[in-house]
Amino acid sequence: MAEWMVLWLPAAISVAGAVSGFAIRSRPTALKIWVLLVSLASLSALAALAGHPMRPALQWPLAALLPIAAFLSLLGQPPHEDNRAAWIMTLLLLGVGLGAMVGHGGMGLTLLALLLILLVALLYRYRALSVSHLWQGIGMYGVGVICLATALATVPPVSAVAVLAVCAMLLPLAPLHAGYVAALAGLPGNLPAFLSLLLPVLGFHGLLAVLPHLPDTVRDVLPVLGLAGASYGALKALAQSRVRALLAYANLSFFSILWWHVAVVQAASPQTTLYLSAVGLATNGLLLAWYAIRARYGDMDLRAIRGLAHVMPRFAVLFMLLALAAMGLPPFGVFAGFMGLLLAPALPLSGGLFVVVVAWLAASWYLLDLLQRLLFGRHRTDLRYEDLHRTEFAALLALVLILLVMGVAPTRVFESGGHALPAHVATGDILWNR
Amino acid sequence: MSYLIVVPLLPLLAALFVWVTGPRLRDRGARLGVLPVVAAFAGAVVTLVLVSSQGPISVRLYEPGAAANLALPIGFYFDRLSAVMMTLIALVGTIIYLYSTGYMYQDRGYHRYLGLIAFTTFVLLCMVSSANLMMLFVFWQILSWLLFLLAHNHTHTATLEGAYKTFTLLRVGDAAFLAGIVLAHTLYGTIEFQELFVRAAATPVILSPLPGLEISGATAVTLLIFVGAMSKSAQFPIHIWLPSSLYAPTPVHALLHAGIINAGGFLLNRLAPLYGLSSTTLHVVFVVGMLTAVLGASMMLVQNDIKKTLGFSTIGQMGYMIMECGLGAFALAVFHLIAHGLFKATVFLNCGNVIHQVRQEPASPHARHAVEEHELPRLTWATGFLTTLLLPLVILLVTHGVLRIPLLESQGTVIFLFFIWITSSQAILTLTRLRAVASWKVSVAMLLTLLFVVFTYLFAAEAFTHFLYPDPREVAFYFQAAALPGRLFDGLVIGTTLLTVLGWVYLYAQAHGRTMPIPAWVQALRVRLYMLLMNRLYIDGLHARLGQWIMRAAHSLDKRSSGRLW
Repeated sequence: MAEWMVLWLPAAISVAGAVSGFAIRSRPTALKIWVLLVSLASLSALAALAGHPMRPALQWPLAALLPIAAFLSLLGQPPHEDNRAAWIMTLLLLGVGLGAMVGHGGMGLTLLALLLILLVALLYRYRALSVSHLWQGIGMYGVGVICLATALATVPPVSAVAVLAVCAMLLPLAPLHAGYVAALAGLPGNLPAFLSLLLPVLGFHGLLAVLPHLPDTVRDVLPVLGLAGASYGALKALAQSRVRALLAYANLSFFSILWWHVAVVQAASPQTTLYLSAVGLATNGLLLAWYAIRARYGDMDLRAIRGLAHVMPRFAVLFMLLALAAMGLPPFGVFAGFMGLLLAPALPLSGGLFVVVVAWLAASWYLLDLLQRLLFGRHRTDLRYEDLHRTEFAALLALVLILLVMGVAPTRVFESGGHALPAHVATGDILWNR
Repeated sequence: MSYLIVVPLLPLLAALFVWVTGPRLRDRGARLGVLPVVAAFAGAVVTLVLVSSQGPISVRLYEPGAAANLALPIGFYFDRLSAVMMTLIALVGTIIYLYSTGYMYQDRGYHRYLGLIAFTTFVLLCMVSSANLMMLFVFWQILSWLLFLLAHNHTHTATLEGAYKTFTLLRVGDAAFLAGIVLAHTLYGTIEFQELFVRAAATPVILSPLPGLEISGATAVTLLIFVGAMSKSAQFPIHIWLPSSLYAPTPVHALLHAGIINAGGFLLNRLAPLYGLSSTTLHVVFVVGMLTAVLGASMMLVQNDIKKTLGFSTIGQMGYMIMECGLGAFALAVFHLIAHGLFKATVFLNCGNVIHQVRQEPASPHARHAVEEHELPRLTWATGFLTTLLLPLVILLVTHGVLRIPLLESQGTVIFLFFIWITSSQAILTLTRLRAVASWKVSVAMLLTLLFVVFTYLFAAEAFTHFLYPDPREVAFYFQAAALPGRLFDGLVIGTTLLTVLGWVYLYAQAHGRTMPIPAWVQALRVRLYMLLMNRLYIDGLHARLGQWIMRAAHSLDKRSSGRLW
């Protein structure tokens, strides 16, 4: 099989699966099985690429996580007609996302623009369900499309800056994070959970590509924006009473740390990939867990529900473990990745470290608050409680296990090979004893 | 010797066994769960014997010099310090587990609770046997989380608030500890204990965090890590989580006060060679420890709740332990934490029994108004006063004549001996209050106590120091590093001596119904101080205010940004 075909196969399977899904959309159970099979097929196609010489071009470990996230986010969904559109869109977004990672130059940017257009359409379609961030999100992604058009029409450094702006919308960085918040807080079904990983992965992929072409002024500003975003995201998360908005701002804080690190070190080590993947998967898990509550009681304010530890013990245990992972406690992947970032050999000592540690500390505050409100206290007696179903339980358990493995597995697993990274982007491994 | 890594893992087996089989095997499963914990204790004793005779044993599942092959470096290091701590933890863990099987029998979360006790024992054992800073930090943080979970009754609002406060405050310490690790790795390129000590000693680094401010690398690293130790060992001003956790089940308190809270003292001992490089940090440690000891003991005196009283007593003792580290007496701190741990575990477990008994017997506590003797027998007082005053002289003679220690050249020895005197005085002061006892008996008890304390400190503590730190040069190096400026040191010794003697005089005067000429401003100060201590220096309020201020800032930011693109 030709090389390009091998590379494009996972994306093609997902897009074809999404298109075929329309044919059986009237039967939710069959559609659910179909979308699950397609995401598995896409994962298998990617797995076949594991030893392929073109593996680095695809950022393999990150790309492989996308069908896994799609599969797990779909697995726990009840076969209900309201969810059909979200399932098909999950496959479509997965295909377009994988395509944007594979495609070089114009093709990659075009697919990225298509993804943004799809997001705009989705936000508009579900505006009735959505939150106050809706129009900001639509506007931001609209600007993103214009940026990509500009990038296609210009040469570096203008094109690089334009792509960087789009990356800051996908891998959220203040002040361009409104689209990400809107997507996580406003979209229905499993889409927020899936997008919590897909968008940052695409943003990170783009960032690595444009980093060497950025003007020095922009590079100097990025660490400052990263630190400001980390603090801003943490403060905003503290003030939220809606779970999805809280998690979106928490991610803004965590991903801003990644921006700061990449901008300071000018490097993408396996630890960077580990951190990105772990933060994305932990949020994916928390959003899926929250979906289980939404499916039962609607999108409630945090103040309206409590004491689930006694009445939904399986949910409580998994939600707690996911929250621990998300707040950066060991032995989960977020902690391992975070330590990897801070112990990077090329990271200089600076005041930025203090801000980053405080942002990390703040996560313990707002995520514990979320955990405590939801799980502890006296439960309401006017609600009927039903613990997680088997598929919901399996999806969340799988995510917890993946995060656990990430926390202890060799970090070499997250190496993409490094050859595809531009010359300016160095890699750096931690030596416990240099 | 790699089989030794099974020892810390055994309680994990117990925890998993109880959690998995709990609902099916019920009480039988819970009781069977004690076997691995007992086996861990036996293993800890074997480890202690092995490392005492054969030296430290290291088991690493990673290659320190190679590019990080594991996301977290997992390794175990068994030396005398870790083996002593493991024995203490496993012993206390076993006792508390066994006690809990009866105490918590009717509780709804019986199996969850027992599993958590076993899991906490596992985490503590792994923490004290960690081969490097990173692994120690991993278990250090898990411990912070376990303290939140061990609050147990999460439907009770006050319990929940206490647990929240505990976790958030412990995380402040964790964050500082993290910063210390990052700084150590950046400056010295390693997180391996022995390598870190060697490099830090060989390559002095000067940092300039602010213009005009210079600080040595070792000082910066040790200060940051000390904040971590402060949080776990409830040092002023991050001590407020300990009294707030009083709603947890009583056996949890026994484990907390006998095992978990010693983590700070252990950490300072583990990193003693690094702390020995920074006199500044040791002085800070001394001041923080002294403040905590004084304030903890003072606040203890005005509490009206048995658990809170014991909580503040622990804070005071932890301050004492940290102060010992700050004076360079690292081994003495371990000796202290073992003695205090065993004592406090006993007291708490008994306290649980008393509470149960009182709840079951409406007539308890009995309102017996024993006839109190207002007159303190002269003989009792004279014995106490004379022995207290004579003791320093006896010690001086013994140390000069028998042990041949050059007192004036060694602050460390003076401190050591001073502790003996203070502790004996305290014990004798307590005994003089046993007024119902015949005076001759009290006098004999005083003398026996005196002999016991002197014997324990002079010989047992000295032997323990030699056991933990066999090289006398190392011990001398720590004392040297912790040495205070001569005048300050003399002032402290003289001041404390005067206070102790004044205590005796005041006690005598009060016991004989005599009034002492105390100035009015001292009386007023006493009342204010009482109020201040009663309200725990208003630190809880300040903490709450800080939290409210941050939340107000967050809400204000959220409100202002809600209508904008960002």
